[in-house]
Amino acid sequence: MKIDCEAIKSSLGAWLDGELSHPEAEQIRVHVQECPACFGEKEQLERLQASLKGALEARASRLAFEPFWDGVHRRILEKSPWRERLWDWVRPAIYPQRLAWAIPVVIVFLLGIISLEQFFPGWRWGSSRSNATTVDSIDGHGLNVAVFRESKTKTTVIWLFENQEDEDESSGESAPTDSSF
Amino acid sequence: MELSDWELVQRCQEGEVAAFQELVARYHRKVFMVVLGILNHREDAMDVTQETFFRAYRNIKGFKGGSAFYTWLYRIAVNLSIDFQRRQKRAPVEFKETMDDLIDKGEGTELANHPFTDLQSKELGERLLAAIDELTPDHKAVIVMRAIEGLSYRDIGHILGCSEGTVMSRLHYARKKLQEKLGPYL
Repeated sequence: MKIDCEAIKSSLGAWLDGELSHPEAEQIRVHVQECPACFGEKEQLERLQASLKGALEARASRLAFEPFWDGVHRRILEKSPWRERLWDWVRPAIYPQRLAWAIPVVIVFLLGIISLEQFFPGWRWGSSRSNATTVDSIDGHGLNVAVFRESKTKTTVIWLFENQEDEDESSGESAPTDSSF
Repeated sequence: MELSDWELVQRCQEGEVAAFQELVARYHRKVFMVVLGILNHREDAMDVTQETFFRAYRNIKGFKGGSAFYTWLYRIAVNLSIDFQRRQKRAPVEFKETMDDLIDKGEGTELANHPFTDLQSKELGERLLAAIDELTPDHKAVIVMRAIEGLSYRDIGHILGCSEGTVMSRLHYARKKLQEKLGPYL
């Protein structure tokens, strides 16, 4: 099968790096031998690679070991701040490229929070929990007690009242929600 | 007989600083080249490379030998360099020195003996480093590591925490950009 130059050019780098399978590499080798344009591209990539290596090696050749080691050794002797140690420990987990695990974890966490209220009806999330208002009542023989508690203002109201036999049910239920509390 | 990296690491883990000094001697230049390729600033690269070895020493007890020591070291260096560059976000001014400047400063003797010294190659090298500086830190990291060490895509992916496919595509993109910028000089 004849492959076009664009396809060859897009794989030339990987071919020069020795990262292609044997059949792919052989296909490119044959094409490059026959195609002057792709041969020129290959030469350009090789010069690019060699020039970069040469430029960096030339700069690094001035790096003397003794002063370099003195700098490293001095840092070793100094005590490391705890924040840096903590960052070193945490960093691999939160490095952006490895954050893929965080998305499902956050979704599961949020679903858990949402479903908690279904499994535990009395449970409240956030401020409603700290601002709980309860009304308890105790039925006595002729004397009833109602206790109103409001945690935000730390208010407790104890309400004693006589049993009213003729009071209808609806007015009895509306009492705890009366604005006078 | 020369000790292997792993033997030296084990000695470091027992607290032998001299063993770590030997590891620094083996790798300081290569790590410096990677960092310099990413930061394009000599003093910053020196600082980050020293910090790399310091962090490596501090965390060496956690190194279990699951990968080669140098890939572990490069990972620290690349992470520190990328963090450093994102914090700095400044225009580097390095690589403007000429050969004469270096010789005047008494630093050019070793450089003059280096094979990479003819004027045309030097000019291309400087233009190349300036062009690389316009790439993103992730693209710089792949192209520099591949050029200096000839690391496999698998090793580079391991160092950068990405797949071999990502390494291949970053390398392809980076090379294409450099070819576009340096076309007449290549």
